[in-house]
Amino acid sequence: MSLAALKSVIDAISAPTISFTILTVAFPFFFPPTDWFEKIHRKLGFWRLWTKKGGIIGLLLITAFFVLGYFDKNFNITLTKPDNFPIVLLIYSMFFYIWLGMYKAYQNDERLDAGLKPNEYNDPDDKVLVWPDLVYIEFIALILFQVFLIVWSILVAAPIEEPANPAATPNPSKAPWYFLGLQEMLVYFDPWLAGVVFPTMIILGLMAIPYMDINKKGDGYYTFKERRVGIFIFMYGWIVLWLFLIVIGTFFRGPNWNFFGPFEYWDTHKVVALNNVNLSELFWVKLLAKGLPSNILIRESLGFIAVFVYLFVLPVILIKTKLKGTYETYGPTRFVSLMIFGLGMLALPIKMYLRWAINLKYIVAIPEWFFNI
Amino acid sequence: MEKPDNKKPLLERMGESQVWKSIIRSGVPRTRRQRMHAILGSVFLHLHPARLPKHAVKVGYTWCMGGLSFFLFVNLTITGILLMFYYRPTVEYAFTDIIDLAEQVPLGIMRELHRWTAHAMVLIVWLHMVRVFMTGSYKPPREFNWGVGVILMTLTLLLSFTGYLLPWDQLAIWAVTVGSNMARATPFLGHEGPGAALLAIGDINLIHVGSDVRFALLGGRFVGEATLLRFYVLHCIGIPFIAMIFMAVHFWRIRKDGGISGPL
Amino acid sequence: MSENKQAPRAAVGSSTTSPGSDNNDIRRRGFFRWLALGWLAFAAATGGFFIVIIRFLYPNVLFEPPQTFKIGFPDEFSPNSVDTRFKKKHNAWVVRDDESIFALSTTCTHLGCTPNWLLTENKFKCPCHGSGFRITGINFEGPAPRPLERFKIGLLDDGQILVDKTKSYKWEKGEWENKDSFLKV
Ligand code: HEM
Ligand code: FES
Repeated sequence: MSLAALKSVIDAISAPTISFTILTVAFPFFFPPTDWFEKIHRKLGFWRLWTKKGGIIGLLLITAFFVLGYFDKNFNITLTKPDNFPIVLLIYSMFFYIWLGMYKAYQNDERLDAGLKPNEYNDPDDKVLVWPDLVYIEFIALILFQVFLIVWSILVAAPIEEPANPAATPNPSKAPWYFLGLQEMLVYFDPWLAGVVFPTMIILGLMAIPYMDINKKGDGYYTFKERRVGIFIFMYGWIVLWLFLIVIGTFFRGPNWNFFGPFEYWDTHKVVALNNVNLSELFWVKLLAKGLPSNILIRESLGFIAVFVYLFVLPVILIKTKLKGTYETYGPTRFVSLMIFGLGMLALPIKMYLRWAINLKYIVAIPEWFFNI
Repeated sequence: MEKPDNKKPLLERMGESQVWKSIIRSGVPRTRRQRMHAILGSVFLHLHPARLPKHAVKVGYTWCMGGLSFFLFVNLTITGILLMFYYRPTVEYAFTDIIDLAEQVPLGIMRELHRWTAHAMVLIVWLHMVRVFMTGSYKPPREFNWGVGVILMTLTLLLSFTGYLLPWDQLAIWAVTVGSNMARATPFLGHEGPGAALLAIGDINLIHVGSDVRFALLGGRFVGEATLLRFYVLHCIGIPFIAMIFMAVHFWRIRKDGGISGPL
Repeated sequence: MSENKQAPRAAVGSSTTSPGSDNNDIRRRGFFRWLALGWLAFAAATGGFFIVIIRFLYPNVLFEPPQTFKIGFPDEFSPNSVDTRFKKKHNAWVVRDDESIFALSTTCTHLGCTPNWLLTENKFKCPCHGSGFRITGINFEGPAPRPLERFKIGLLDDGQILVDKTKSYKWEKGEWENKDSFLKV
């Protein structure tokens, strides 16, 4: 395959519709949360990612991608922006450390299966002295890191653009990279959700983790087997719904916030149809072939029902059926928090797919009250 | 006073001098006792216990990420104070002062050091969180300290964000315009948020452009002079002050929760 | 906590206590009254202080460009065109269509970036997230939830047009019907 063909394939599959789907579908096979996924994970060899070989191949693939990008005249522009260098570091370090954690976890899991204690275990009476054993490690880490920072600062000048001009918005206009996940959510949700409600829920949800996770095992050592559901949920949120959206926002969003493949030229005049429709229009106009009712509440009734069912009826059904056991072990308060944060987290992919599938803009659309969902 | 023994090595003699001993009580840490004393006798080092289980000092366990986060914070404080000598937070001077930092000020990389360290800190704090999650260290009795950590991470992001405005270039004001405009949409408290229209007395809206949360944040209707000053103060004093308090709690709680987590 | 709460309640509704402890009871009741009052005063003072601090965040005087400005005489604006002269200083476009002149806010209703008037495509296009608005200000593509706002506009005695940004009119509330939101020509 020629290089150009390879690049266009990469361009095509990095479209959020495709790459997000691939990641979501593949995810449970790499972090298997149930026995069934675990079986396939073993059978098809997905577990090899968490071995030394897997780690090296992963790092090599990332490197190949960046090398390819560096010598591509379009990708080179985004890749070498000084403010984007942290994302390159982010991709490498997040991959490496998550790999390292999983690698250690798998080693420990084998030990635990064999009835041994985890690698981290030492005789409690056999302690080491902080001076010199820890102080020196800290000292060396600190010096190495300082050297790294100085080299980085000498090699890469901090960016400065044109002086501020309130009348001319640059195109595209991006938030700092660590907020690009939020900016990406803005494509699918109104600002009051993407900018206020979701960040609040992310912070509260993170803080609530220790109270919602009642699994006592796996405290103080790396393990996957003993906490697989917890790790699966956290890592899906962290890798796919946060880090991946940051990468999309940095590398794949160009002028007018249109999607561009990494090797594609950022054409300001790329025309993308953005004619999204509201659920109320789909229902009243397209389906029933009537005009929109003038009463706002009637107009949006279908949306309200959908949201109500999602937030309030669905959990009750789950209590009665699939999650009955969970409800009993977790108790009402924990279960309600799990539902609030879980459904909140799931709302993002759901809205993304609705947008991609039927161009849905809002489920409930009441711009009169600034209330759009 | 005894006559100094000239045959002893210099370091040894220094360690026995009155000056040294008045500062560092333990002398040169050679023996086990002296080494423990070295940790316990220093206000800084006694953040640590004197002895630790073996796994806790391994880089492979903690990845050193928490320690590095703190180191980067200290680093940013120092470089930040140095930058304050040259930077004036006004619309008139901010941009040119930043240019001068690269062109007129000795060394010429202080701004780079500060900026790249700030980026690195966000990354390192995230990695620290991933480590703590992977080792399950948020489980009882460390639930509260995980919560403190989440607040520290939020403060780290806010520090970075407030700092982003200070160069007063296109990148800065538009990132902050878009970011702060989300505050307009805050339910009830933003003038374009759901429910804001309910807060009205008769015909008069209580929440409008000049009275909502965004206005309090920006000190005006748009990102301007007042915003620059507010963000500067928050960036240099307000948030670091709060972060320091939370860090103190964080470190204290690590010790009180039984030290670094580990298998039983 | 719960014990603390119990105590005053018992003291207030104390008709059941034996007559012998009357004296004691009155003294206790008084004590709790003072205690409650003390805490109340403390809470009020703290709350008041807090409100004062919040108020402190809102400046009395703003050093921003004036909210009202003159834009010239009606015949300076040619039909079906967008005048971008006032964009930079006053954040407004002056648009003249077949029968009226109106002032559109340059603040995108999505997240407040400043869109650009694209003459060839005959639309306002926002560079931040791609919202598009027609010459009337009505949104038709992208994430913007509602049309651009219009500012109050009127004629002065000298025949010049005055734009007043303190009052804005929203389409979705039917306010564009308001006769202050446009100028008949
Ligand atoms: C400014 C940011 C932060 C600083 C300076 C900091 C510092 C530290 C340090 C020095 C440690 C000792 C162990 C180690 O190095 O890993 C530690 C442990 C810990 N940190 Fe942080 N941290 C920060 C943010 C966070 C965040 C974002 C979280 C989680 C959301 C967190 C949760 C914890 C917990 C639960 C422990 C105990 C870990 C254990 O016992 O194994 N911290 N932190
Ligand atoms: S600010 Fe205009 S589209 Fe987002």
